[in-house]
Amino acid sequence: MTAIAPVDNSNTVPAVPTKSTSGKAVARKTGLTLGAWIVGLIVFLPIGWMVITAFKPESAAETWPPRFTFSPTLSEFTIVFSGMGPYITNSAIATIGSTILVLVLGLPAAYALSVRPVKRWRDGLFFFISTKMLPVVAAIGPLYILVLRTGLLDSIWALIILYAAMNLPLAIWMLRSFMLEVPSETLEAARLDGAGRIREITEVIMPVVSPGLVSTALICVIFAWNELFLALNLTVTKAATMPMFLISSVPQEGLYIAHLSAAATVASVPVIIVGWIAQRSLVRGLSMGAIK
Amino acid sequence: MAAVTYSKASRVYAKGAVPAVDTLDLGIKDGEFMVLVGPSGSGKTTALRMLAGLEPVDAGRVEIGGADVSGTPPKDRDIAMVFQNYALYPGKTVAENMGFALKMQRVPKPERDRRVREAARLLDLDESMLDRKPKQLSGGQRQRVAMGRAIVREPKVFLMDEPLSNLDAKLRVHTRGQIAELQRRLGITTVYVTHDQVEAMTMGHRVAVLSGGRLQQCGTPRELYDNPVNQFVAGFIGSPAMNLRTAPLADGGALLPGTVIPLPPGLPSGLSEVVVGIRPEHLRLTTKDNPGIPNGSSRLLSGHVILVEELGADALLHVRLDGDSGGDSGGVPGERGGDPVVARAEGRRPPSPGEKVTLSVDPADVLAFHPGTGARIAA
Amino acid sequence: MAVLEQAPPTAPAGPRPRAMSAREKWSRRLPLLPALLYTIIVTQVPFLVMIWYSFQSYYWNEPGGSWFNGVSNYAHVFTDPDFLNAIVRTVTMTVIAVLLTVIIGTALAVLLDRKFPGRGVVRTLIITPFLVMPAAAALIWQGPMLDPNFGLLNYLLAPFGVNHEAWLSNHAYGTVIVVMVWQWMPFMMLIVLAGLQSQPGDVLEAAKVDGASAWSTFRELTVPHLRPYLELGILLGTIYLVTTFDQIRLMTQGGPGTQTTTLPYYLYEKVNYAFDIGGSAAAGVVTVVLTIIVASFALRMFARVFQFEEAR
Repeated sequence: MTAIAPVDNSNTVPAVPTKSTSGKAVARKTGLTLGAWIVGLIVFLPIGWMVITAFKPESAAETWPPRFTFSPTLSEFTIVFSGMGPYITNSAIATIGSTILVLVLGLPAAYALSVRPVKRWRDGLFFFISTKMLPVVAAIGPLYILVLRTGLLDSIWALIILYAAMNLPLAIWMLRSFMLEVPSETLEAARLDGAGRIREITEVIMPVVSPGLVSTALICVIFAWNELFLALNLTVTKAATMPMFLISSVPQEGLYIAHLSAAATVASVPVIIVGWIAQRSLVRGLSMGAIK
Repeated sequence: MAAVTYSKASRVYAKGAVPAVDTLDLGIKDGEFMVLVGPSGSGKTTALRMLAGLEPVDAGRVEIGGADVSGTPPKDRDIAMVFQNYALYPGKTVAENMGFALKMQRVPKPERDRRVREAARLLDLDESMLDRKPKQLSGGQRQRVAMGRAIVREPKVFLMDEPLSNLDAKLRVHTRGQIAELQRRLGITTVYVTHDQVEAMTMGHRVAVLSGGRLQQCGTPRELYDNPVNQFVAGFIGSPAMNLRTAPLADGGALLPGTVIPLPPGLPSGLSEVVVGIRPEHLRLTTKDNPGIPNGSSRLLSGHVILVEELGADALLHVRLDGDSGGDSGGVPGERGGDPVVARAEGRRPPSPGEKVTLSVDPADVLAFHPGTGARIAA
Repeated sequence: MAVLEQAPPTAPAGPRPRAMSAREKWSRRLPLLPALLYTIIVTQVPFLVMIWYSFQSYYWNEPGGSWFNGVSNYAHVFTDPDFLNAIVRTVTMTVIAVLLTVIIGTALAVLLDRKFPGRGVVRTLIITPFLVMPAAAALIWQGPMLDPNFGLLNYLLAPFGVNHEAWLSNHAYGTVIVVMVWQWMPFMMLIVLAGLQSQPGDVLEAAKVDGASAWSTFRELTVPHLRPYLELGILLGTIYLVTTFDQIRLMTQGGPGTQTTTLPYYLYEKVNYAFDIGGSAAAGVVTVVLTIIVASFALRMFARVFQFEEAR
């Protein structure tokens, strides 16, 4: 029915429908914009509320009705900063350490599964991804005992080792997808030009892969920084990370909401900023390189 | 001396599979421009890559300058290759791209610069372009950088894998001439792969036609055109393509609608039909103004024009022969029937569609092929 | 020449592809080995140890170590209604959460695929929940957002007749799902959005010329185009959501009662509160077996979705 209507209109009154459509289009556009902004703000609301609450004095945080006007204070942040030192250090060490380990192990592996593949590269890829499907939680008891026996309980090394294993499959898949972007012709040209394996990697592959290396590292950083389950089970105080600090900021009694919000804000902000900057790589990383 | 020889060279991708290149025997003389041509899947690119060392030689030998290089790694073969998509190193400047191979050979920097500049000059690449990255270049410029990268090496053999296929039509014709001229000046043995028979015919000193992994025929463009050894070569070389049709045998000749074309003696016995091939320019339009039959033995074919392709200097007539369209009265254009034949006519005043025409053909210009094997039946 | 000859089916003669030399094979394997060995040791050894402990009686807070007790751990596990319920709950929670993330994520992606002022900012706002540390998100929801006495949500919903609702006591199951969905729908949105933006414009223009309405274009062209993206999102979303732990540990402790006790939390409790390594190992073995069954389907899906670009 709508397919016929424009023909009739154009025969009889050509000017009017154009005008009304454009009016409708403007209205629709405004509606879309408004709707999208409202949806965006609703989704963001808990985070916005977290940040707002973090600037409240404790007495203004737990009120009914919730208060939107208050004199902002940094006092909770000051307390958080004074207490989080060892936690944030541990988080940084575990995150950076595990990410470096992932890249050191993952780069050559991705190379052996793409550019110069082993015969059963498909099986290799599937082995790595299948470890991502095995739930670590299932083995937490034995893992606890293993870590205990090897003297790694409450040691940052345990977290580095396990976070690296956790992120390695993701990194290998992702790095592989970047390496496949090096045209095979270019590699052949390098071989004809007399480049050996090492030159081929340093002169031809790495320049193409290095932006991918950064986005891979970012994904690993996000997952390692945010990890709680292993930290909760395998650390106590010495190697406890930022998520553990958050938990410790919830006391058994007393007012704590502003303090918690400040701690949560501080703990989340690094990754949020990294993620905002790296939005494009985020998609590629989360899809394990399947989406470019 | 850098002749190239394939001697019973084969390449098989998987056990039990049909060879991609099947016992190829081909000799390429020093300084020769050899074109490997064939449809996709004919093995032409594989053959080139075997020479480059990018594909192993599973049986037989490949020689460069008399030395067997079958097991030699690509970098030690002293060859340079131009790839279809150019394969420029994305992170390197034009100069670095061109000088990379020399850097790998530890040629000192001043010498490297000198040779890069020289190659750039040969290819009309502007000095200012040497510092750009491949991304900043047009398709034609990239192509020339790829050529330059090959030239600076001063190799024994140039290998080119469809280097013009990513250029637009006009640039392709221009570059075609440039490459041929450059090769003549440098005098370096060149093996050039293409699927485009026009490219093959215009560029090669000699052309090797491949199909299904086998060499069909190798010869000068003229030989291939005038004297194809089989139906495949006859049909593949020449544009527009040769008219090929199966005709029953009768009275020692091939029976076409309305006439019998005498065939050379010595037909294999037991055949009931042959494939006859006639080039479009050998079907001459006979009109009232020009009734002259050029040769007393000429045969006449009549039909009506169903399509005219005007090319300017001449026109291609698609003619449905009488008796092909199921014996109807006069025949309606576009009706089903035998394939129309294509004839080349003067471009000035070609007949119009629907018009009845008579074509004459000299039996000496008619080729005959074995209907089973496709092999040429020659006098 | 060009004789059409069929090669005999078993032809021992003739050329064969050259086999890769052993040296070549090992030089290719070498770069893979460190990652392979590392992954095998770190991820597989705990599972082997788990199998061993699943036949032992071992309470790590008690002296005396472990001793073999046959299949009694398994007998306990299979007769433990909490365990069986935890399995069912994990499955239902995951399925509901994944479906909701797909629906909401797709809707948001369609929204963000349009051009409007501030699109980049809205997109940034919407992906942020995914970036927030899950532990932080859980605690913020549990306190400032959902607290029955001073939570923001009750305040905002008050006009709709909600009065100091104790969400995490009275609607724990649904609330946990809402938080899971809130945190993961940006992930789905990003993947679907990438799919939408990869749809070639000329196809949509062709549909317009063919007289298709916006809705039928979406249904006939966009949805089939999105299919692999949706499959990928569902697959990866499931892998991550099925192991959800942080929200449950920090918002409900599996409660009230066992209303939100999923498998990860069940296993955590068994180790941390019941100190039962043997029992947790047996439950773990069962979990892993179930996972392998599901994962073998998932892997097949992976192979299809990823449509491997051939290695060289």
